[in-house]
Amino acid sequence: MKLPAHITLTGRKRPVAAPDRTPVYAIVGNPNSGKTTLFNALTGLRQKVGNYPGVTVEKKIGITWSQHGRPIEIIDLPGAYSLAARSPDEAVLRDVLLGRRADTPQPDRLICVVDASNLERNLYLVHQILDLGRPVIIALNMMDMAAAAGMKVSAAALEKALGVPVVACEAVHGKGLVELKLALSRIELPLARHRWDVPGPIAPAVAELQASLTQNDARTALVARAEALLLLTDFDTVRVAGSKPLSPRTHEILGTWRQRWAGGGADWSAALVRSRYDAIGLLCRDVVRRTRDSGPSRSDRIDAVLCHSIWGWAVFGAIMAALFYSIFSLAEAPMNFIDGQVAAFGGWVKGGMAPGDLRDLLTDGVIGGVGGIVVFLPQILILFFFVGLLESTGYMARAAFIMDRPMSKVGLNGRSFIPLLGSYACAIPGIMATRTIENARDRLVTILVAPLMSCSARLPVYLLMIATLLPGDTIPATTKAGIMLLMYALGTGGAFFFAWLFKRTLLQGAPPHMIMELPPYQPPHFKDIVRQMVERGWLFLKNAGTIILGISIVLWFLTTHPKHPDSAATATEQIAQSFAGRAGHALEPVIKPLGFDWRIGIGLVTSFAAREVFVSSTAVVFSVENFQGGKRADVTPVRTALRQARWPDGAPLFTPLVCLVLMVYYVFAMQCMSTVAVVKRETNSWRWPLFQIAYMTGTAWLVCFAFYQAGRALGY
Amino acid sequence: MSAAHLHLSPLCQLPAGATGRVCVLNGDDGFCQRVREMGFGEAALVTKISGTATSLCLVNGTRLALNHRAAMSILVEQLPALSLVDGPAGAR
Repeated sequence: MKLPAHITLTGRKRPVAAPDRTPVYAIVGNPNSGKTTLFNALTGLRQKVGNYPGVTVEKKIGITWSQHGRPIEIIDLPGAYSLAARSPDEAVLRDVLLGRRADTPQPDRLICVVDASNLERNLYLVHQILDLGRPVIIALNMMDMAAAAGMKVSAAALEKALGVPVVACEAVHGKGLVELKLALSRIELPLARHRWDVPGPIAPAVAELQASLTQNDARTALVARAEALLLLTDFDTVRVAGSKPLSPRTHEILGTWRQRWAGGGADWSAALVRSRYDAIGLLCRDVVRRTRDSGPSRSDRIDAVLCHSIWGWAVFGAIMAALFYSIFSLAEAPMNFIDGQVAAFGGWVKGGMAPGDLRDLLTDGVIGGVGGIVVFLPQILILFFFVGLLESTGYMARAAFIMDRPMSKVGLNGRSFIPLLGSYACAIPGIMATRTIENARDRLVTILVAPLMSCSARLPVYLLMIATLLPGDTIPATTKAGIMLLMYALGTGGAFFFAWLFKRTLLQGAPPHMIMELPPYQPPHFKDIVRQMVERGWLFLKNAGTIILGISIVLWFLTTHPKHPDSAATATEQIAQSFAGRAGHALEPVIKPLGFDWRIGIGLVTSFAAREVFVSSTAVVFSVENFQGGKRADVTPVRTALRQARWPDGAPLFTPLVCLVLMVYYVFAMQCMSTVAVVKRETNSWRWPLFQIAYMTGTAWLVCFAFYQAGRALGY
Repeated sequence: MSAAHLHLSPLCQLPAGATGRVCVLNGDDGFCQRVREMGFGEAALVTKISGTATSLCLVNGTRLALNHRAAMSILVEQLPALSLVDGPAGAR
């Protein structure tokens, strides 16, 4: 068998020199071991970090510079406990390391990030990686937390035992980065003095499979050995080998060994894991000393309350209530300020220009449309501040723990709640986060229901409706927050109901096991939180300045053209015969049973692009209607325009019942093109996103119909 | 001593604050393998922090949350209180 170039015939390994081209390092390690924090510190990038497992679900690439000024490419990979991948995010790590990803170069060298406070468990993955025979640098991270837990971890002893560079660091505090960069800059890196003998009874199977994989499946020697070990510990060969099928000979060998073992009654996959942990245990004996019995840690004491069966729920409820109350109480002043500035700017433009199409386009289309949405920026920022706090402190994983029990009632587990909780901010990262879910059916169910969680794009719609429903400043913020909380609860309840339904019909399966790591609590990193707020706020403004601006301009055109032949026509007559008006009228028979007229219909159609477009669309439609023809010289907030809207018989259009029904519609309806695209990508099919649009929008119509008709029957 | 001679109980029934030794893993192969890979295999020591429906445990210095089904699949033998001072890391 041909050995890799760096292994000599005598078994001594030569150091591996850096390649002539830009060297590629991959950062690997267990979930929540600080990989992305280290990646950001090395590259200067600002990838999202959080204090819970599964923040990174796709590879990220950046550049750092060696001590000699040479560029070094760094790939940040999702975390994994083992190369035996069980979920899509773990498969990314395995496939990159085994050189199976066409879009990613196989890394030349690896940085194994290891949580020093949990060395044994973290070294399991390192142990598997060392089997691959690639140059490795170990970043012994979180040394401060190890010390706090009463452990003294010796980087020198670990380096001596493994024979590879080991750098003690605290990535979050920037400690050890210089030493790590020095290690990255080394021209040659020694290969590990890694000796681990496969348990005797398994060795012939490993050798035979390795030989077949090398000869018949074109694997290199060490990759073949790693793959042979994985095939022997995971019966799902497709999961291990990827989509490219194994050769018939390898299949035959595998089947023969499995049959032989099944007859013997011994659990060899358990023996393999135990053998590795035995080797790691011996290694750690010289590396880690416990200096004191630390007793219950601060996190343990906090968990005793926050994960308590009663107090845990009380705290969870209080956090959610505080979030919604803050959205109303803290945001009011900045919102009023922005509102006033937009109105003043609109008035200034209107006063400074001669009447005509251009002036109407700028005031009703651009300023009315974009201004109507920008006013909600403070509330978006508050939402992301709270989400950042939950992620940064480690509470996110606790919320999943608390929610496990209700999740189990619908056939999922608490692990599915992290993507759902993330979907409160935006469904797209929420759906991406489902890659951490091991069971394919559970993952699909979570993807299907995630958009039912009320995302930040619904916030402007809810706020506009609540402002129309409860006008004036005399209504207490608690009442408004209560209605908002109701909408979030309705969306969450809907997600749970449909998860229960799908698990019993389309995607049946036993309730899954859940085993999830809870990270230690940490003080919030306000720098990261503010960075995330700024990024999300900027994205919101960018959307307002691009998609929403574009749609507002197009919609303004569609509501003002073609011109009414009678120049004395009223604004209502003008918009009724416009392109948008005709489309709205065509839609009206479908939505009238919900209490919506054709003008609301225009908002519903245009907001399929993104939910918040409803606000800008109604701003344009109702501004055009109310302020055309120079009857009014100012630009009034859209909520005032909505309160003045009437049916042809003079009855108010936005009654309290219609406002509530409209909010309910947005709770359930699938109104986001970006989400549809992401679901298509994650499920690799159009079948599921189309099903999602049908079931969500169908449910929205049915629930709104029942709600509106019942409200009418009760006299509302 | 074989598992049959030990007084085994599911992890969810281990009292809060008590320490046990994992003796038997039930459940499907994938679950057992993952549990072992996370250092929670046979002979691992586990301290229960809280919970019965969903269990919160300390294994090798790591807090792990397990749902009821998972905790029912891990059979442990309760041990008297022990100290890890000056011992090797973890207590496998």
